[in-house]
Amino acid sequence: MMEQERFEELAAMNALGMLESDEKRTLDGTVARDKDLRTLGLELDITAAELGYLIKPTEPPSDMKKRIRAKMRVKGVKGMGLSRGAIVGGAGWALAASFALASIWLWNERAGMTEQLAAASRAIAPPANPVTPVVDDGKAKARTLEEELKRRRDEYEAQKKALQDEIDSLRKRETDASAQIARLTADLDALKKQEQESQLQIATLQSKVWEYRRSEMLVVWDQKRSQGVLVLDKMPRVESDKDYQLWVVDPGKPDPVSAGVVTVDPKGSVKTVFKPVEAVTGEAKFALSVEKKGGVPKSEGQLLMVGP
Amino acid sequence: MSQPELSEEELLQRAGRGDARAFDQLYDRLAPRLFGLLRQMLYDEKEAEEVLQEGFVQLWERAPSFDPERSKAFTWAVMLFRHKAIDRMRMLGRRNRLVDGAVLEQTTLRSSSPSADEAMQDAERGEAVSRALNELPKEQRQLIECAFLKGLTHHVIAESLGMPLGTVKTNIRRGLLRLRDLLKGGA
Repeated sequence: MMEQERFEELAAMNALGMLESDEKRTLDGTVARDKDLRTLGLELDITAAELGYLIKPTEPPSDMKKRIRAKMRVKGVKGMGLSRGAIVGGAGWALAASFALASIWLWNERAGMTEQLAAASRAIAPPANPVTPVVDDGKAKARTLEEELKRRRDEYEAQKKALQDEIDSLRKRETDASAQIARLTADLDALKKQEQESQLQIATLQSKVWEYRRSEMLVVWDQKRSQGVLVLDKMPRVESDKDYQLWVVDPGKPDPVSAGVVTVDPKGSVKTVFKPVEAVTGEAKFALSVEKKGGVPKSEGQLLMVGP
Repeated sequence: MSQPELSEEELLQRAGRGDARAFDQLYDRLAPRLFGLLRQMLYDEKEAEEVLQEGFVQLWERAPSFDPERSKAFTWAVMLFRHKAIDRMRMLGRRNRLVDGAVLEQTTLRSSSPSADEAMQDAERGEAVSRALNELPKEQRQLIECAFLKGLTHHVIAESLGMPLGTVKTNIRRGLLRLRDLLKGGA
């Protein structure tokens, strides 16, 4: 597959959130270096998100907005209800004078408000007896206090609910995390067992061909499972009608066994899992050659790297 | 005097500057569709509510970075909320398996029939997306819908639908590129 198509594929799957973590890292690394791919990625992200216009709307619970605000308070999110970007520039004397006048007025108001707040605090202090207004200077003031109390009670309830939700959610996460740890531990044990049972062989390949003197090739071969991992770096680009092909040399077989075509990225690197087309029973050696596009059943090209 | 209704982009930009009222209005406009999306992805009412809350907290925090030149407010929000839902699925260990009861073959987005209270502009865009999606070959359309709504990896989708992995990848690539061209107004 052409490199471009491969990255288009990764970008498309990424836009739909389908990539595994390692694939996403590969894509992110390439995107960081390639402006065109970055543009394509963004376009596909937006295209995928546009599918949201076809979602059937569902009304969230009626108290959701309150819960969001309460969650913001619980999390200490800054800025809600305040002007985040308010910048006073070139305010001048008029603004300063207004500010001074406003300060005096606010100072006077403060005394009155302090009394009012003290009364409100007294009123809400004992939770068992919250609705008795302490002030008695007029129905309007009592109504205001009652409304204030109601608002605060609602806020308190919403906050309490948000905290309870948070606690429930954390408990659930803890349970899920424990289950996941148990699963991962079991996976790890299985992998350790597999590793013990497998017969791993690590081989580095060298080339005597001048163009490949800086190239690096590493093979990790699992004899028992007859499969391996190939890592190539700094490989020169091959002609458009050619491909690199990996071979496994089995002493018990007359010809090398094909382990498939290998496509390197624009930097000449690749890391891939390979499995020879036939089982390899003897102590394996590895070779890399340049062959016709798509690979050949029997090696025809020059062997570039051989090892160990 | 009644004020002209602000667009979602203007509301999001205002929210980015700390305007809590704009944030409230934006919530009213976006929440039903985002909640619909989360319910479909997470297959769990409580989880969807939880992610909706967290998503809006994050929307408030990230609103200053919104750039209306690059995307619509709604698509920007969809990206943010889908990421959150996928993170939640990963955390719950659900990303690599199909939740019991969730059926991939039956996963479809609605055809174009917007509700009465949906903004005219959104309804028009919804119709355009629906038309474009219907122009794709059936296999491509189904895979894209399924991937969009379920947040599963390509391996799980291929396995669950009994399709070769290569076919899934190719169809996703071709389908999404074609969809992009169609939505840009291309043939």
